[in-house]
Amino acid sequence: MALVRTLRDQFDWTLFVATCAIAVLGIVNLYSATSAAGVQSDLHIQQIYWLTLGTGVAVLIVSIDYHHFERNAWVAYGAGLVLLVLVFLLGRSVRGSMRWIPIGGFSLQPSELMKVFLIIALAKYLHNDPKTDGRTLKDLVIPGLILAVPMVLILKQPDLGTAVICALIFGTVMVLTHLKIRSLVTLAIFFGVSAPLSWSYLLEDYQKGRFTAIWARWSGEEIDILDAGWHTQQSLVAIGSGGLTGKGFMRGTQNQFRFLPDQQSDFPFSVWSEEHGFLGAFVLLGLYLFVVIWGLKIASQARDRFGAVVSVGVSAMIFWHAVINLGMVMGMLPVVGLTLPLFSYGGSSVLTVMMGLGLLMNVSMRRFSF
Amino acid sequence: MIMLSQRREVGEFRKRYKWMALFAIVVFGILFGRLIQLQLLQHDQWSAEAIDNITKTISLPASRGVLRDANGEIVATNRPSYDVFITPQLLIPERDIPLMIELMGLDEEQAQAFMRRLHDVPPPRRTHQIRMFTDITRDQVAAIETHGVELRGVDVVAVPLRTYPFGSLASHAVGYLNEVSAEDIARHPEQGYRAGDRLGRTGIEKHWESYLRGRRGYRRILVDARGRRQRDREGLAATRETVLEPVPGQDFSLSLDMQLMRTIQRAFRGHPSGAAVVVDVRTGQVRALYSKPSYDINEFTAGFSSRRWNELLENPFRPLLDKTVYESYFPGSTFKPISALAALQDGILDPAHRVECIGYYEIGNDRKGCTSVHGDVDMHSAIVQSCNVYFYRLAEEVGLERLNRYAREFGLGRRTGIGINTESRGFLADRQWYEDHFGRYRVGYTLNTAIGQGNTRTTLLQLALAYGAMANGGTLHAPLLVQGIHGADGTLLEEFPPRVRRRLAIDPEHLDYVLRGMRGVVNEPNGTAYDARIAGGVTIAGKTGTAEVQPGGRRHPDPRRAWYFNKSHAWFAGFAPADDPEVAIVVIVEHGGGGGRIAAPIAVRILQEHLGSRSPTASASAAERSH
Repeated sequence: MALVRTLRDQFDWTLFVATCAIAVLGIVNLYSATSAAGVQSDLHIQQIYWLTLGTGVAVLIVSIDYHHFERNAWVAYGAGLVLLVLVFLLGRSVRGSMRWIPIGGFSLQPSELMKVFLIIALAKYLHNDPKTDGRTLKDLVIPGLILAVPMVLILKQPDLGTAVICALIFGTVMVLTHLKIRSLVTLAIFFGVSAPLSWSYLLEDYQKGRFTAIWARWSGEEIDILDAGWHTQQSLVAIGSGGLTGKGFMRGTQNQFRFLPDQQSDFPFSVWSEEHGFLGAFVLLGLYLFVVIWGLKIASQARDRFGAVVSVGVSAMIFWHAVINLGMVMGMLPVVGLTLPLFSYGGSSVLTVMMGLGLLMNVSMRRFSF
Repeated sequence: MIMLSQRREVGEFRKRYKWMALFAIVVFGILFGRLIQLQLLQHDQWSAEAIDNITKTISLPASRGVLRDANGEIVATNRPSYDVFITPQLLIPERDIPLMIELMGLDEEQAQAFMRRLHDVPPPRRTHQIRMFTDITRDQVAAIETHGVELRGVDVVAVPLRTYPFGSLASHAVGYLNEVSAEDIARHPEQGYRAGDRLGRTGIEKHWESYLRGRRGYRRILVDARGRRQRDREGLAATRETVLEPVPGQDFSLSLDMQLMRTIQRAFRGHPSGAAVVVDVRTGQVRALYSKPSYDINEFTAGFSSRRWNELLENPFRPLLDKTVYESYFPGSTFKPISALAALQDGILDPAHRVECIGYYEIGNDRKGCTSVHGDVDMHSAIVQSCNVYFYRLAEEVGLERLNRYAREFGLGRRTGIGINTESRGFLADRQWYEDHFGRYRVGYTLNTAIGQGNTRTTLLQLALAYGAMANGGTLHAPLLVQGIHGADGTLLEEFPPRVRRRLAIDPEHLDYVLRGMRGVVNEPNGTAYDARIAGGVTIAGKTGTAEVQPGGRRHPDPRRAWYFNKSHAWFAGFAPADDPEVAIVVIVEHGGGGGRIAAPIAVRILQEHLGSRSPTASASAAERSH
């Protein structure tokens, strides 16, 4: 009884309602996105299954005090790394990259889950390493390694988008700590040098093409809508033609006549904006911003460093996913296959986000218990 | 203690949250800004693009107006050309491309070209129909249509193609079409031509282009991203399938008589180069515009190789030139009736006055030859025998000014206004011109002008209308090439009544006198065209001419053939029937030699066949044939 009362009193209804709202809008949108002319699909039903499963996982996570996660953080992190290695042993190649491990009729994407494990591992490290005075580069070596190992494995798949997200989560979390000015400057110089090098040696041509396409759009050059720019162009047409109120549910021509590529996973926002217009898009963006800020609020109220870092990490994950996906579909960022949290179709993605939200809820609910 | 220390550690982070939140708000602010830009500010532009995405406009070509001759025979019409359109996106390349190559019966080289063209279609165009083959054979059409179900990206579309049943006959007057160039489209965007359209380039096809072309229609259909046609479920799209039916061009009935053109073609057999014009002296309607050698306008319209084009360009007989209105010539002795009328009307010379022709005429130190020694000649016999000496004498009295004035009176030196093929205005050289070009004026120029060897130049059409004016008693008509314009349903939209350019200020008795002379040319035993006369046929009157060409004016690259191009042009200008003139005719045989020997028989044969066929029995049999 006491537990139930605690749950009722301390349950973060705001977070719950906001995320539910995103998920429900996502299902509605998926229904439209996958019913494009002449194609019947039950992706929205599958998405409900995944959400249900994700909710189960989240409930499980919420019900266990996050101290237990802190204690077993390295186990989780290790398990994540094992899964990443397994990808190369058991994985199957889809469109030139090895990202999935087939399990029964489904396939698991370990790189998605790894983001949560990375957050937990970083939180664990910072929790146990409370420094009050500024950190030097030496102090960044271990957290850097915590990031680097999974990131290399993810880049190897290759999955540039997820690797970038991992780096951004890491970066956001590290903003919490106090870095010495000199270290910051050194870091800045390091990135200044390594960026052009990685452009030349790490990126594939098709990846460069997406960057140059965006650069062309920004700089107002004649856009080559033939290859890299084609998807972006169609997305912009969808969003722009939505106008203030949109064309109506199931009535978006860009969607229904299939001008949007991967509209269920990469471009669901384009479908949404086309059919529900500026008002619909405004609501959805507002929900994401709200969840992110709410996550930061939870972090600020967390009872310990682990909880704070986890909250910031989860918020960062949702924030960067949303920003990169939205930036991509609005033609401001290069096309990388990153999902819009809870809005895009995808089992692993949904599970990962639900795990993250479970952790956030966990921290939120236990801020008063000492 | 533990609790406190933990709080402090967390607190070490705390001040960063606000900055993070602010950062998130700013980034989302940018996203909101972009949304406002896309959805509110640029909405119209993107909407237009969205509609453009899902609509495909299929052009419905208008059929071009039909040209018929005076007897209702079709001169230009349209037949379906079966063109193959391919929507690359819908092809299954590994299956459909080899199949297409087989069905079309392409050889190795053509197959390569086909695959290359298909490969080169840029992605945004791949959902559109691309014209790959034009005017394929019936067999190819049948082969493709039997596989129509499998070949989803392949459409055979019947496109109207201009066709000319008479081929090369009257090709200069009728004209040809070819594809619009990018410049044409850019220069006159308001006329709405599109790549692939054909427009009239010469002749009637060009002059009446705006009447003939009609107005294109279109059908707008809905397609998905792969270019497949979609039904508009629940009025999804803001745009609906629409059809605008094309408006066919207007039909023309021409004054040309293709039967007569055939006759002329036959009469010119054996002569490589020349031209003939026949006009109705009562109305100015142009019955025939014949220019030889010619070319097949079907060949032009279908588009042909540059090799063939060069062949035509380099042909020394100049097939590309319209010798009836574009080219102008020295009229030679066909000018003499005008000289005679100038003298008569102004009372300068008594026609009975006799001049002795001793075979040449002396003026200053110069001795100008005559065709023969004619002895004592009056004006009548001077016309009949084409005596130069008489006209030299006449010219000395009449003067250059007056000769030119009467030439102008008869419409020379000015465009007739037929409107086709950049008509030449001909040329009348005055005193000033001679001074400018030869340093000074000499009386010899005037003498030459009187016999058509000065620098007077005339087109065949000008001369035919001038002779028509003599024949009809002094009415100079504007030429009419079109009798009527009809709507697609046959209703007469516009008629072209005869237009009089001028009533000549010449008394009938003077005209009669000269006309009698011209009658003598053909019908008196010493007439220059007497040998060409056909006894018992229609009575013909006219004047022969043998116009010397400017030496070295045009040379043949092969010196062994150069002699030919130094030969004189043979002329005959006249009218028939002599008693009640209906038609005037002008014939020129380029480098044919003597007008009486070469040109007159052609003209006589044409007139005999043309007018003779209108005797009751002949026209009855013609009527039978046409039924």
